[in-house]
Amino acid sequence: MNLFFFLMSILYGILKFLHINFVPFVYDGYPIGLWIAYAIVAVVEVVLVFALSMIAVVIIVYVFRKYMADVQNRIGPNRVGIWGTLQLIADVFKLIQKQDLIPSNADSFGFKIAPYIVFTPVAIGFILIPFGNVSILNLMVTNFNYTVLFLIGVMIVAPLGEIIGGLSSNNKFSLYGALRSAAQDMGYEVPMIISLVSVIILAGSYSADGIVYAQRHIPFIVPEFIGFIVFFLAMIAKQSVPPFDLPESGSELVSGFSTEYSGMRYGIFYMANFGFMALASFVIAVLYLGGWEGPIFPGTIWLVIKGAVFIMIFLLTWVSLGRVRVDQFLNMGWKYLLPLSIINLLISSGLALYLGGVF
Amino acid sequence: MARILFHLILQRGIDMEDKVIEVNFGPQHPSTHGVLRIKVKLDGEIIVDAQPVIGYLHRNAEKLSEMGSYPKATIYMDRLDYVSALNMELGYVLTVEKLMDAQVPERALWIRMMLVELNRIASHLIWLGTHGLDMGMLTPFFYCFRERERILRIFDEISGSRLLYNYFAIGGVYSDITPKSISMIKEFVDDYEKKLEEIQSIFAKSYIYVKRTKDVGKLSMEDSISYGVTGPILRASGKKWDLRKNQPYLFYDKVNFDVPTRQEGDVYARFLVRIEEMRQSVKIVRQVLDKIPDGEFYNKKFSKPMLVRLKATGESYIPTESPKGEFGVYVIGDGSTIPYRVRIRSPSFANLSSVPAMLKGYKIADLTATVSSIDPVFGEVDR
Repeated sequence: MNLFFFLMSILYGILKFLHINFVPFVYDGYPIGLWIAYAIVAVVEVVLVFALSMIAVVIIVYVFRKYMADVQNRIGPNRVGIWGTLQLIADVFKLIQKQDLIPSNADSFGFKIAPYIVFTPVAIGFILIPFGNVSILNLMVTNFNYTVLFLIGVMIVAPLGEIIGGLSSNNKFSLYGALRSAAQDMGYEVPMIISLVSVIILAGSYSADGIVYAQRHIPFIVPEFIGFIVFFLAMIAKQSVPPFDLPESGSELVSGFSTEYSGMRYGIFYMANFGFMALASFVIAVLYLGGWEGPIFPGTIWLVIKGAVFIMIFLLTWVSLGRVRVDQFLNMGWKYLLPLSIINLLISSGLALYLGGVF
Repeated sequence: MARILFHLILQRGIDMEDKVIEVNFGPQHPSTHGVLRIKVKLDGEIIVDAQPVIGYLHRNAEKLSEMGSYPKATIYMDRLDYVSALNMELGYVLTVEKLMDAQVPERALWIRMMLVELNRIASHLIWLGTHGLDMGMLTPFFYCFRERERILRIFDEISGSRLLYNYFAIGGVYSDITPKSISMIKEFVDDYEKKLEEIQSIFAKSYIYVKRTKDVGKLSMEDSISYGVTGPILRASGKKWDLRKNQPYLFYDKVNFDVPTRQEGDVYARFLVRIEEMRQSVKIVRQVLDKIPDGEFYNKKFSKPMLVRLKATGESYIPTESPKGEFGVYVIGDGSTIPYRVRIRSPSFANLSSVPAMLKGYKIADLTATVSSIDPVFGEVDR
């Protein structure tokens, strides 16, 4: 049973109990009270998930700063709040106060809309993650049969925002950042989707909870190790963090597509980056590590633990590796990741054909 | 969405006929090490042409040196290559001493040699850290600065300042080294090589770093000689030319050290040469600590009241091996208390002239790698 319908029926019951009855009004065969409950629950859940993703961003940024400082023999944020925990909040307030600066010759519509195009997929992505189930209750905001396909469709939109932002900034460095972002998408998206398809074939389901259910005996990282590596690298490229931070590439193209951005518009890019890190870790945990499956602890805790492991791996690569060159990245994408993902597709097709019952 | 994109492309006008875009890297750019400006013509990601433009940090050091007495010019030398200020002072002080036929006590010469080598390590550490930043590696920067900090503390103990020392005087050094500073140097020398091994492994064991620097920014030996390139870049191109060996000054002929060379002439070769140079510097410092004699640290004839009245006639030039390459000051004295002409031969200036030859045909990402491998310091380029 879905969390959504669970909350909705409770609310509908309360409305019934309070005799708030809209019996005369019937739409599409259901009483209007049901529709009002539907709308209220939808809004509440969206706000909840958005808050959840924001909390995840705050936590990850704090962990990132402290961890990076630790690796680099520094102390890190330690002034705002206890042990500097409120540093990001302070930063956000600082950014909001700043002047909203739009370059004079920039395309202001494209310039303004770009950060939201980058950020929205992160917020949408979180509603598709299955956070485990409490007895019959599925902690998932929305659950339909094609969750994973929809998730990938949503995630692919994000680089479009980078491209629009870069093109409309009227700056040559931004232009190069935008074009690099486009080139990078070409490099990793095809292998990413093919390795996702092999997960779908092996699980025999398009939905996230179906994929998790298929991993109740063996997590997919075992039969699909090649696909896992491909997907993991694609996810690093997707977040554009080092070593694959080509669209931003701090030292070459001043700040890439976000060169002209400042204030909260830049802040939105920044938060989208870290939000995506959380989303990517959860997606990998769901697809390859069996999502909420695990002994003793409740499912949600297992998912968070698995996601946190991947977040720490992302941060480790961030602080320890240099940046690859554009042609090296494209070589990697087309010459290695694509053939590997196709091999993985063949392997998982064979497994699904002959050992289909196991999964 | 596609409509927005097409609209933007058409409106913003990327002229597809003229494929070459001219981009200014610098003077305000995070990876140009100061105020270098490179006019780059780009065909997509490929560099068609690159022209360095300099002069944004011109401070008239040569002319200012000709306006005061001989000892006063030392502080302008400090501010040339500010990350290895003692090397700059040394070049000037040696020349002026030759001009004045000054006798310098042996102890002062040994002290100079030791400190210059320590300063060479500090300079190379700055280079290594910023080079890492240019390659997208954030972490080694802090390790390099941690080690450099120890050297700066030693200098602080000896000369009283951390960056611009004004410590080498005509006829010696301004103050003697203290026992505490000697123990600090010993402590540093003892475990520096281990730390260097650690820092080197961050780079050399990183597949990404090696892949990005091998066969990048190549400069052949003939080219580097014809551009007047000196220092680690020349040695990375295969020419075994180190002024400390070839034209020894101070007591470099009395210590035992190697001149590292590589044949490849690319960025990775320069990295290896500089790392090895740091090891050799440690070796030299260790030998100096054993050999340093007791005695005077300055020539009484050049004691402070006399300094402003020093006169010189003639001309002289002593080339020295600074961390960046051949550094020397050409001084003409006309018999008065102020130098008639001071001309600075700065290594980074000559090295930077090889940028167009190094960059043509490479990618944008190689630009930062190559420029940082030159290790330009703009105080010295613009003078």
